[in-house]
Amino acid sequence: MSDPVLTVVMLLVWGTVVALDLVSVPQVMIARPLVAGTVAGWIAGDFASGFRLAVVMELFALDVLPVGAARYPDYGPATVGGAVLVAHRGSWEESLGLAVALALVVASLGGWTLGRLRHRIGRAVQRSAPDLEAGDVRSIGRLQLGSIMLDASRGLLLTAVALMLVFLTERYVALDAGTGALLSVIAVGSGIAAVTGGALRSAGRGPRLRWLVGGGVLGLLLVWLA
Amino acid sequence: MKGTASARRRLLAVQGAWNYERMLGIGMGYAAAPLLEALRDRDPERFRAATMRSALFFNCHPYLAGLALGALARAEYDGVSSEQIIRLRAALCSPLGALGDQLFWAGLLPALLGASLAAIALGASWVAVAVFLVVFNAIRLYVAHWTLQAGLAAGMKVGAAISASRLPRFVSWAGPAAGFAIGVAAPLVGEWLLRPFGPRAVLGTLLLACTGIAASRLAGPRYSAPRFTLIAMGGAVLLRWILS
Repeated sequence: MSDPVLTVVMLLVWGTVVALDLVSVPQVMIARPLVAGTVAGWIAGDFASGFRLAVVMELFALDVLPVGAARYPDYGPATVGGAVLVAHRGSWEESLGLAVALALVVASLGGWTLGRLRHRIGRAVQRSAPDLEAGDVRSIGRLQLGSIMLDASRGLLLTAVALMLVFLTERYVALDAGTGALLSVIAVGSGIAAVTGGALRSAGRGPRLRWLVGGGVLGLLLVWLA
Repeated sequence: MKGTASARRRLLAVQGAWNYERMLGIGMGYAAAPLLEALRDRDPERFRAATMRSALFFNCHPYLAGLALGALARAEYDGVSSEQIIRLRAALCSPLGALGDQLFWAGLLPALLGASLAAIALGASWVAVAVFLVVFNAIRLYVAHWTLQAGLAAGMKVGAAISASRLPRFVSWAGPAAGFAIGVAAPLVGEWLLRPFGPRAVLGTLLLACTGIAASRLAGPRYSAPRFTLIAMGGAVLLRWILS
């Protein structure tokens, strides 16, 4: 994208859609970092770097099991911000770690905003209790659409914060090549730890653990053969 | 039943008003509205009561909500008593939640993502992402269609319909498939990402990954991957600054 204003607008729209997809609508998995970061990298003008960031962030996201009322980071808009940073900095080997750090901070902030949103919707439901008790269909519709609009606003704001942090990082954070590469290696190592730790927790001690170990052995064999 | 297509579309946003008060309740009420519409002229009092019940507390996996939605709508048309409908609503929460979480969140999703990550490391690039989206959503949309139809057909006998379906069998396959795919993907992705950094980086990554896994096992729910990563990064930058 050659027009910077158009690029920012597209990133804001994409971040908002991605944030909505996490819980509200339509849950078609574009909120997964692998998808969100790949598209954001393409919009920002460096598909390959954004794609690497997307893969690392997906390792972190695979650690999360979004069941019931569990609280979890919002990795979608965060990955959009991270992909933009890694795309702008040029060499992904030196900027991946910094971009992952930024994305993790935004993801945690996003998780907190999700909790606030749920409380706010809860208060709106309490206010509408008499109408709901009376079986008022319009009241249900108002609550549903209002809540989705609130979540869209949350996603837009979160993406804007992520892009603002990218701007500030670009302007004020300078890392030498060695430190940049070190942070990138730490990001990859932590991502591997997150995905493996999550898989071990899910596997427990049952047959799933044997399949996990079997897969790991095959993966290592493929690495050795490659 | 009239309104089925509209209800199916609305089910895509069943978590749109998720909150700690009623969880999926409002989303279920919103999705139920087109199904209950025919009651409005037939029995206005029953319509109001059914609408009120449709938005009460409810929680289950969003992709399987159609089973409950269909069953509850059918029960309203069959003239089942309010107490029985509310009991059915409560009884469906746990099994639909547990089945869906195991099938989708802990099974199909990590299995497909693990396979995609492994394919990317082997050179598939964005095609793997596109295939993941198409396959996952094809399954998801089929399940959305089937659940609503099965719920509408079964009514109060929805529990038996779930037991007779292939869902429990798919759950027993999905978990091991997810474990296997993640197992294959982790070393492949690690090697793909670390290729430009050399063998010292691979050794460092292995040490860090083992520390992270040990920390997640020891600290239990207090462990958070983002926190661990940011602490490791902060420590590394500090150490580098001190040594320089």
